[in-house]
Amino acid sequence: MIARATEQSVVMRRRIDNTLRFAAAVPLGYAVASLWGAALARVLPMARSEATVTGTLVALLLCAVAAMYAYGARSGWRATWVLLLLGAVAGGITWMSVTTAGRV
Amino acid sequence: MSKGIRQSQSTLHTWSGLLLGWLLFLVFLTGTIAFWREGLNRYMRPELARVERPLTVLDGAQRFLDRKAPDAKSWFIALPNDQVPGAQLFWQPQPKKGERAGRSGGGRGRRDNQALIGADGLPATARDTRGGEFFYRFHFDLYYMPVIWARWLVGIAAVMMLVAILTGIVTHKKIFRDFFTLRRGKGQRSWLDGHNATAVLALPFHLMITYTGVVTLMALLMPWATVANYTDQTKLLDALFPHVEAAERTGKPVPLVRLSALVRDAERRLGGPIGSLEVSQPGDAAARVTLFRSPTTLLNTRASSIVYAGTSGKPVWQSPAPGGAAATAGVMIGLHAGRFADTALRWIYFLCGVAGTLMVASGLVLWTVKRREKLPDPARPHLGFRVVERLNVAVIAGFPLGVAALFWANRLLPATMLARAQWEVHMLFIVWTAAIVLALACKPQHAWSSLFALTGVSLLLLPAFNLVGTRWNAISSLAVGDLLPLGVDASMLAFGVGYLWLARRVAHHVPQTRNFRRERPLTTEHMMQEVAA
Repeated sequence: MIARATEQSVVMRRRIDNTLRFAAAVPLGYAVASLWGAALARVLPMARSEATVTGTLVALLLCAVAAMYAYGARSGWRATWVLLLLGAVAGGITWMSVTTAGRV
Repeated sequence: MSKGIRQSQSTLHTWSGLLLGWLLFLVFLTGTIAFWREGLNRYMRPELARVERPLTVLDGAQRFLDRKAPDAKSWFIALPNDQVPGAQLFWQPQPKKGERAGRSGGGRGRRDNQALIGADGLPATARDTRGGEFFYRFHFDLYYMPVIWARWLVGIAAVMMLVAILTGIVTHKKIFRDFFTLRRGKGQRSWLDGHNATAVLALPFHLMITYTGVVTLMALLMPWATVANYTDQTKLLDALFPHVEAAERTGKPVPLVRLSALVRDAERRLGGPIGSLEVSQPGDAAARVTLFRSPTTLLNTRASSIVYAGTSGKPVWQSPAPGGAAATAGVMIGLHAGRFADTALRWIYFLCGVAGTLMVASGLVLWTVKRREKLPDPARPHLGFRVVERLNVAVIAGFPLGVAALFWANRLLPATMLARAQWEVHMLFIVWTAAIVLALACKPQHAWSSLFALTGVSLLLLPAFNLVGTRWNAISSLAVGDLLPLGVDASMLAFGVGYLWLARRVAHHVPQTRNFRRERPLTTEHMMQEVAA
């Protein structure tokens, strides 16, 4: 009885971990990559159009890197909060830059 | 590297590869064929003669447009070269009152506003076909669905592919030793070796082609850097690719200069052959001619351009050199499309593409081979396994048969048929659907070998039909020094032999099982299958 309960909870925990990793790899990974692309486009010291293209090219690579990290991290929880933190940093940079300098 | 990381990357590799693997197979296969886009455009219109003097064709095109659309808003002319069987023309009539004028006046896509001028400078009539363009468009637009959906699907698959390649490298601890290892007739180990060999052999190509493929769709997949800087995406395009504002019609008729003279001058100024040109407000005092360098000699797909006044023939504007990032993106797209590649390099592109297609296919098969050994009862697999196994047959063996059917339809459908070009493509999907039904209904081993055999026979018979059934064929064109039909027909023969060999291998294959007790009944079953086949 107890053995079965533990087995169930192990299965349950693994399921949660898998779901978290997938969520961190795909939707969250894309969001973090997009935010870093936007942040780079705002702060890179080059012409606006050049910074935009560079940001986009880097962001596309970051999509793949974020997915790999989400599956390589020690746990699904860790992947989720690390990516959330990274996204928040990029989001903050972008938001501050856009509110102070505006878009064209 | 710790074992845990490798294991997690292996999981990601398996699932990202399988989920969109079938779509990737189609994208890889059609993209590989599309390296011969121009050649197939010519191969699939055997009526048309090869262009020897491109400027004569251009003069003919100008005469034709002068008669047909003298007061158009714009003309677009794609110049012929030794690969293209004539000059393709598009024209855009003056917008009617209340109709908004577009940014560029290409007017492409309107079927009634286009024509083809043949090698003799006169309008040419050829069978209605999409030629190599079908493979090029299908590669990212798919078919029977809105192109934006298709591009999202293909874009997601391409990102998955990038993940699959990167994780594949991590998963592989002995990447170079494995490349030199090919254990034949060892079941799963052989499939793994084959998957590794095709992957590692062309690894730089696969990485390059996948990342640059994602880059071609970057405006759609990753618009956020643009959104952060611009209120409107066209502002970025204007900044990256500056251009002269569209000319306004004055109403004062002045004849246009001879375009072929402008082409000669522009080739000297831009330092390379001209690929296409656009005339805005032809026949008017405000007429302007923009000439674009041909992408055949450029790595960057965004070709430099030069603008002339249409009445005096004086240059008025030349595109500035692009910035570093814009040039990087342009070169990446150029590397992906390979338009700069001459025939020898095109072959290398093509063979790497074949390796990529085999990598995807062997990876998909490996998924089933690996899981079969772990099944509780290999003779009776669970539903999920059977679905993957049969979808593999339907896609990997079925789609090539559809492609062979397209080539046959190109030869056999009557020239006068309505919507003939569309029916060529419908034939691909009709035959593929039949192949899918066969793959789902029959035993996989049976379906594999019969579909491979059918594909092999269709490809082998096509060059034979060309020799008898078309005037322009491998032998008659050799006489005038044109190697293209010979090259395509020889490739068809080679692939036909390859498919027949595969069919034979699969038909005679006896699956290995670890469980000795099961060996006898399985072997008998397969012997019966062989007899039936």
